[in-house]
Amino acid sequence: MTMAATLPEAAARPRSRIATGRAALHALALAAGVAAAFPLAWMVLSSLKTPAETMRTPPVWLPAEPTLDAYAAVAGVIDVGRAFLNSLVIAGVTTAGILATSLMAGYVFAKHHFPGRGALFAVMLATMFLPPIVTLIPLYRIVGALQLDASLAGVILPNLANAFGIFLMRQFIAGVPNELIEAARLDGASELRIVFRIVAPAVAPALAALALFAFVYHWNSYLWSLTVLQGDDRQYPIVLSLSRLLSYNRSALNTGLVMAGATLAVLPPLLLFALLQRFFVKTIVSTGLTG
Amino acid sequence: MMVAARHGRWTAVLLAPSVGLIGIFVLVPTVLTVWLSFHRWSTQTGFGDAAWIGLGNYQDLFGIGSVGRDFRQAMANTALYAALSIALLLPLSIGFGVLVHQARLRGAGVLRTVLFSTYMVPMIAVALVWSKLYSPSEGPLNQMLGWVGLGPSPFLSSPGTALVSIVFLNVWQQVGYFTVLVVAGLTQIPDPLYDAARIDGARPARLFRSITLPLLRRTLLFSGVIALINAVQVFEPVALITQGGPIGSTNVMTYHIRRVGIERAQGGLGSAMAVALLLALVVAVAAAFALARREPEA
Repeated sequence: MTMAATLPEAAARPRSRIATGRAALHALALAAGVAAAFPLAWMVLSSLKTPAETMRTPPVWLPAEPTLDAYAAVAGVIDVGRAFLNSLVIAGVTTAGILATSLMAGYVFAKHHFPGRGALFAVMLATMFLPPIVTLIPLYRIVGALQLDASLAGVILPNLANAFGIFLMRQFIAGVPNELIEAARLDGASELRIVFRIVAPAVAPALAALALFAFVYHWNSYLWSLTVLQGDDRQYPIVLSLSRLLSYNRSALNTGLVMAGATLAVLPPLLLFALLQRFFVKTIVSTGLTG
Repeated sequence: MMVAARHGRWTAVLLAPSVGLIGIFVLVPTVLTVWLSFHRWSTQTGFGDAAWIGLGNYQDLFGIGSVGRDFRQAMANTALYAALSIALLLPLSIGFGVLVHQARLRGAGVLRTVLFSTYMVPMIAVALVWSKLYSPSEGPLNQMLGWVGLGPSPFLSSPGTALVSIVFLNVWQQVGYFTVLVVAGLTQIPDPLYDAARIDGARPARLFRSITLPLLRRTLLFSGVIALINAVQVFEPVALITQGGPIGSTNVMTYHIRRVGIERAQGGLGSAMAVALLLALVVAVAAAFALARREPEA
């Protein structure tokens, strides 16, 4: 980053006003950060409270004696291990599929020339802006006709390719030098080998970002899983299992339970993001998009 | 250019998985939605059992019966929800974006990360946590309102405030994402533009109005369109917390279409609603583009 781009040069102003301005700036930033973090902090704190503490009016902010009882209670209501495994299968397999299909199609749209390329790409791209609800009803029926309803395969299959991934890969593969590809061809490499052995390593940071986007998106995805898995809670990913915690006990007694469950569901995507957020932000900045 | 027809077979092979999947699971269902909207069809039966009724479903949507009333309320709720979301997200993301972009701000990177991290939180967890924050007596938000002599607000439990309360949690979750988009837009504005304007004696407010905002127009147009499409998808807070109430005040399109088309299995009617929603979106996006194109003269 260069200089303060949207404020006038500070040197033009008296020293005291500069200090005031800087202080105000930092106060504003601090307030924004606190406001962003507060709900998540409240979630974690509440998950550590006793049921009595969660019911008090006015609310208690800090648990007097933090306890993991609520987490134990969650494990008594839902099979946490199973739910995590289901989430992992859904998000993991979907992500692997998206990476493979996006690489291949992105490569073709970036480096192959064929009649109708622009039109086909435009049609693919348009689907990126389609809200899922528009196709939900027939899609539900199609997956049922394929005998995949109430199964993880039914959740996964329709999402193995998406327009965002293709678009992202095309953008980055376009920047891979043609000489690199031509050299591999002269060595007798097949196009498939070129995609996965030459192109993929060359766009590794974008692939990492796409993997994170896809994994987090499908870890969090709710509407489609709910529609496909209707009521079969052995197949539920963790985000769907949370609804069972809510209905388990509709009194304020279950606050700690719900907060502990929410904390568990939030941890994997947040940890992934913390580890790899540089890729995320860089990729958005360079393409202006996420899925 | 470099790749001639000799790769024709490979072109097809490499495209087949994506085009096949998107074709079968996105394009075909889109066409089917339109086709089903002209039929009476139970979602529990095969497509072959659909019975042609022409514009019958659409007549119901715009008729005086309860089907039409509920649909129009869901449409209006969704429009209000989207408008409020955009009206809050765009100015906030510009403000945070300019803030994070300040070189003088220590910890700008940390702030950007904290803001963006909420975008990683599953909407279901956001809904659950905020339903507790909003809790009338045990929630901290009414406690804080009390400190400054306001409230208590009924938040999710009153038809007057429930939809707005969901807008707030949506804004909280998404503002970091749009902030990053704005930062991306800001980095593309050349510094010499600001330097030249400063030499001419322009003050900060003037720089912002005459350089920053106009040059962010494309970013803001894109942000607005994405915010609109995201807003239409609101589902979890409604499905879990409010069930569309109180008195239908949070019944939004994604929730309503799923309830009609999947839960009540009125597939034809639900499809007509989906088509109406899609048309409304197309009109709104086209209007946004037209507006963005016209503004320079103003």
